Amino acid sequence: MAKDVKPTRKNLMAIDDRIDLSERGHGTLEKKRDGLIMEFMDILDKAQDVRGELSDDYEEAQKKINMARAMEGDVAVRGAAAALEEHPEITTEAKNIMGVVVPQIESSRVSKSLDQRGYGVLGTSARIDEAAEAYEDLLESIILAAEVETAMKKMLREIETTKRRVNALEFKLLPELYENKEYIEQKLEEQEREEIFRLKKIKEKKEQEEKQEEQATDEETESDEAVEQATAGGVPGGD
Amino acid sequence: MSQEIAVVGSPEFTTGFRLAGVRRFENVPDAEKDETLDDAVTDVLDDDGVGIVVMHDDDLEYLSRNVRQNVETSVEPVVVTIGSGTGGGGLREQIKRAIGIDLMEEDNE
Repeated sequence: MAKDVKPTRKNLMAIDDRIDLSERGHGTLEKKRDGLIMEFMDILDKAQDVRGELSDDYEEAQKKINMARAMEGDVAVRGAAAALEEHPEITTEAKNIMGVVVPQIESSRVSKSLDQRGYGVLGTSARIDEAAEAYEDLLESIILAAEVETAMKKMLREIETTKRRVNALEFKLLPELYENKEYIEQKLEEQEREEIFRLKKIKEKKEQEEKQEEQATDEETESDEAVEQATAGGVPGGD
Repeated sequence: MSQEIAVVGSPEFTTGFRLAGVRRFENVPDAEKDETLDDAVTDVLDDDGVGIVVMHDDDLEYLSRNVRQNVETSVEPVVVTIGSGTGGGGLREQIKRAIGIDLMEEDNE
């Protein structure tokens, strides 16, 4: 609050410096926020496409596995699922978008050939193979969606933080600093006016004193002269 | 460091993913979801070896408030929900909060 600051020139200069710094910071953060939002828009477009593909792949995979279940029975499908030997793995690399580190996910061993799957080819039918293939495609889409959604979440967090900082500077810190500056300036002006008034008063008082002194001196001289005249007039008549 | 993909959900949901080679899975039958889904999801989220968690959209309804919030905001591992097509659970809310506009609604229309 404005009342907490001492109205001194030193504080005024310090506040001026802080206003300068805050305004520069505010401008930079605003640019960062706008840049992040633009980058986010690009990612959002990509995310919408990925989501669409993901839904299609999921529907397709559901159809295929339902068909396999209907034709082969649930036990056969579960048996084949339990026999898988190759497992998909993901590795993450970092990518920097305007200071936000977003992951780039690389996958391996997601799509497998028939002999890599591990369940016996003779004991299972083509329906299970088709279902497995559909789910492998679905996993690829999920990995892509995970990459895009992680990037989105991280960027949203950064946008929110930046926005909060910009708002704090714009609506809290800067108005407070301006208020303090105005308060100090007004106080200093008031002090200056008081000082001038005081000097005037002192000057008037001094002048009055000088005048009184002068008057007193004049009166004294006059009375001295009168005494002198009186004494001079009295001597001749003494004989 | 290489990580795995994990699936959490009913046995019908996880079987397909196991067919694609996913070995980290938590089977939670529909009848037990209210009681055990929270623990299953927390276990998977706490596992450092897991990079992506796959869940069904409808299963989010069974989660307690805290776990659901963790699922929606978790980045490592990231949770991908599938099923209803909108995806992202709390992502839409997060976008509304951060950007100030419901961009997903605009795009869906």
